[in-house]
Amino acid sequence: MTRFGKRDESLPDLMAEAATAALEDALIERPDGIVVAAMNPEEFTGEGNYGSLIATHLGLSHVPAIRVETATSSGMAAIYAGFAAVAAGLHRSVLVVGGEKMTHLATPRVSEIIGRSIDPHERSYGSTMPALAGLITRAAMQRRGLTPKEISSVAVKNHAHGARNPYAHFQTPVTLDAVMESRLVADPLRLYHCCPISDGAAAVVLSAERGPVRIAGIGQGMDTIAVRYRSDLTSFRATQEAAQAAYRMAGVGAERIDVAELHDAFSPFELISLEDTGLVPPGKAGRATLDGDTAVGGRLPVNPSGGLKARGHPLAGTGISQIVELCWQLRGMAAGRQVEARIGLAQSIGGLATNNWVTIVETSR
Amino acid sequence: MCPDHPVAMEPCEVSPVGEVVSFTTLHSPPEGFRSPLHIAIVELDGGARLFCHGEETRGVKIGSTVSVEDVNSVFYFSHMGFADRARLFWRRAGYRGEKVAAIGKSFVKGLLKGRTREKP
Repeated sequence: MTRFGKRDESLPDLMAEAATAALEDALIERPDGIVVAAMNPEEFTGEGNYGSLIATHLGLSHVPAIRVETATSSGMAAIYAGFAAVAAGLHRSVLVVGGEKMTHLATPRVSEIIGRSIDPHERSYGSTMPALAGLITRAAMQRRGLTPKEISSVAVKNHAHGARNPYAHFQTPVTLDAVMESRLVADPLRLYHCCPISDGAAAVVLSAERGPVRIAGIGQGMDTIAVRYRSDLTSFRATQEAAQAAYRMAGVGAERIDVAELHDAFSPFELISLEDTGLVPPGKAGRATLDGDTAVGGRLPVNPSGGLKARGHPLAGTGISQIVELCWQLRGMAAGRQVEARIGLAQSIGGLATNNWVTIVETSR
Repeated sequence: MCPDHPVAMEPCEVSPVGEVVSFTTLHSPPEGFRSPLHIAIVELDGGARLFCHGEETRGVKIGSTVSVEDVNSVFYFSHMGFADRARLFWRRAGYRGEKVAAIGKSFVKGLLKGRTREKP
């Protein structure tokens, strides 16, 4: 993957940087197929036909390429498409590459483009992603008893992790006070509870040959695009269903997971996701975070990469970057933030939890 | 379409009073909206949930009773004071017996709410 953050390169150049590194690592010159993930490149960069664009840009113009999109979880959906192609025997190897280029646009314009993944009626009331996340957060604080300190501790932890990741957007720690005193964005959500706008790309190669790490399970879960149609605002049914499917396929339970990468686009989402995936019992995520259980060195390290908060969130690049981080962790290549792990879990949220994914990877035996 | 079944929905009459499910104040709203922008999800008596704008959120809590008004196809919520709620309650309850039963129910509901709020 590329370093995430404010980058001057074009999106095709960023994707090429990530793809070249992944192909070299896999010792593959020419994959049988390419899956490209990009959420909104037409609006962010003005270019479309991204499958063909990237294949040609990589010098692989005759390799079959498709583009996959499920809003902010597009990267993980691309992993799924690549995995399915290899599992079905259609291809022996597939390059999965995804990313986004956003920082060249003004923040309101970026918000507007990302906001297209919100239900049109709710959008007509001025709802943005932070607004919907604010509604979810307040409900979770009231019904689940999440406290501002627990929520803010997630951001502090993930910044501390990002400070140890040379690929992260933010590589500086923040204090609890700085988070809790940052300006309100969508009450009760504050600026430092929200992930940044980032450029970047990530890539993996999926192969039918045995590699150092294998995908053990992958699951998708859906929910209504309209948040108002959901009976419960304090958990994400889409994550719960994706997790159940992934655990079933992998034949392991939550208790076997050693490390996790969760979609903390907003800090409270990490706490909600910890419980939705069953990694922490209901009502215990806040306590576990305050106790340091989810920090590198804790019982269950979560987002050793820095998560979306500190590694950054170039939309369609994020799901793939989670898998890259888990591969590095499982292979002992995460210098500075290495954890002891054999099985890892990644969770990606698409839209406001309308199209979520959970992937379980393990060290090959 | 119903979100959970592929069948068409039909229009129906709903009460203009409901409970706040959640609310937020957006400090940098999209173009065309004034800042700060108060947004709430309100569950009307009968179950329908609406997105609403509001003039302010002072005194509003999750579970607060609000009235909802349709102004040029945009819903607005406003917090109901004690007097408003009492009047509404009296107008809605029918016979004396029903009124007594409803007061009892509301009292029990209040107790249950009080108990859930005590949880850490």
